[in-house]
Amino acid sequence: MIARESHPDDDLLMLQALLDGELDASGVIDMERRIASDPRLAADYARLRALRGAIQGGAPRETAPDNLRARIAAATGVASNGNVVRFPDPAQRPAAASPTRWRTVAAAMAAAVVALLGVNVYLLSSSAFDDVERVVVAAHERGLISGQQVDVVSTDRHTVKPWLAGKVPLATTVVDLAAEGYTLVGGRVDIVADAPVPTLVYRHREHFISLTELPRGSVRMSSATRDTIGGHAVVTWSDNVRRYVAVSDMPPPELDNFVASFRRAAASEREDTPPAKK
Amino acid sequence: MTTDAARSRFAEIVLPHLDDAYTLARWMTGSASDAEDVVQDACVRALRALETTAVERPRSWLLAIVRNTALTWMAKNRPSNVTSTDAEEGMADLPELTDPSPSPEEAVIARADHGSVRAAIAALPQAFREAIVMREVNGLSYKEIAETSGIPIGTVMSRLARARIMLMNTLGRPA
Repeated sequence: MIARESHPDDDLLMLQALLDGELDASGVIDMERRIASDPRLAADYARLRALRGAIQGGAPRETAPDNLRARIAAATGVASNGNVVRFPDPAQRPAAASPTRWRTVAAAMAAAVVALLGVNVYLLSSSAFDDVERVVVAAHERGLISGQQVDVVSTDRHTVKPWLAGKVPLATTVVDLAAEGYTLVGGRVDIVADAPVPTLVYRHREHFISLTELPRGSVRMSSATRDTIGGHAVVTWSDNVRRYVAVSDMPPPELDNFVASFRRAAASEREDTPPAKK
Repeated sequence: MTTDAARSRFAEIVLPHLDDAYTLARWMTGSASDAEDVVQDACVRALRALETTAVERPRSWLLAIVRNTALTWMAKNRPSNVTSTDAEEGMADLPELTDPSPSPEEAVIARADHGSVRAAIAALPQAFREAIVMREVNGLSYKEIAETSGIPIGTVMSRLARARIMLMNTLGRPA
């Protein structure tokens, strides 16, 4: 026999269980009868239902961003379509990856990103292009497709730089090129060779430019090299410590102009800071 | 060493529930970029666990890992946001709905704009916030919430009731 003189708190728990579909059939019948005969219970139940509607309208289930799916693919070796892409186990990776290993991992990462996009691009068939460049181009394309090119949105380099500093081990060179017509859009973290690297996004008229900064590795290319990958202009160069890859859908000569502006500004900024050990 | 067997179990067990994982992490940490860090870390833990663990209910299992990762992560990186709800718990303390008479409150709650709803959820104490998000946003049953949070079903019910009373009192107040 159910006690009729139940505590108000118990009433609330019962109303809530009815709302949540957690009562059995006889419990549902019992509660519905009580609501029908008790205006106060009816008002509370109406409020609970109104709250549910408000929460479902204001706080829908979120969708995991593509950027997160790419990071998980890089960290686990499982692309988001479920393909195993066989990364070296992070725990077994030597502290300093050899150049050969770097290329293998970058190729695997490119495969993961391409699989992720579901884009049937036959990138890995030719060895004419640098694997790192492919990964950076794929990240640039992913940003254009998803419309979410940056993780931190700011035209202020003093916002973007510290944000990146909290995410990646490299100190990022961020320069203000607004005077030359390149507006800083923000920054994001890309995964290249299983490691997070900073990418800046600049806008020039309707074109976007992704600029990724990487550890230099063993190759030094003080003069810039140009490529076209998947219809994108790619320029890469390196300095004493870093390698840079710029990608854009701008015509190659215009990307060259951007690179020249960036290198000038980066060099003059470096003069303001203590010189790096040669 | 991660085996391909674990990786294919990961694809089957974890990947279908990434949206739920991200949603929970988003509400627990209060930030999109923190949520990404937490979910990535949780996925790495999940992959490691799949070498040896058999999983019966994938979603609750993954969300339990996400929840633990989020709590650990916040204790380390956002210590000021982690509050104990021990003192706030218990059925004896359940506050009553503020207005016992039939009132226009229901209509006020129903009209609450999205921003106010999100702000009200974000302002809830951690334990109540995660319970209401698991129920209303992730759509978990009481039993699944109990499993995910490692608490008895009675505690799930009282946390949900507390969360709902707080939200109704916040949103039902005429602006």
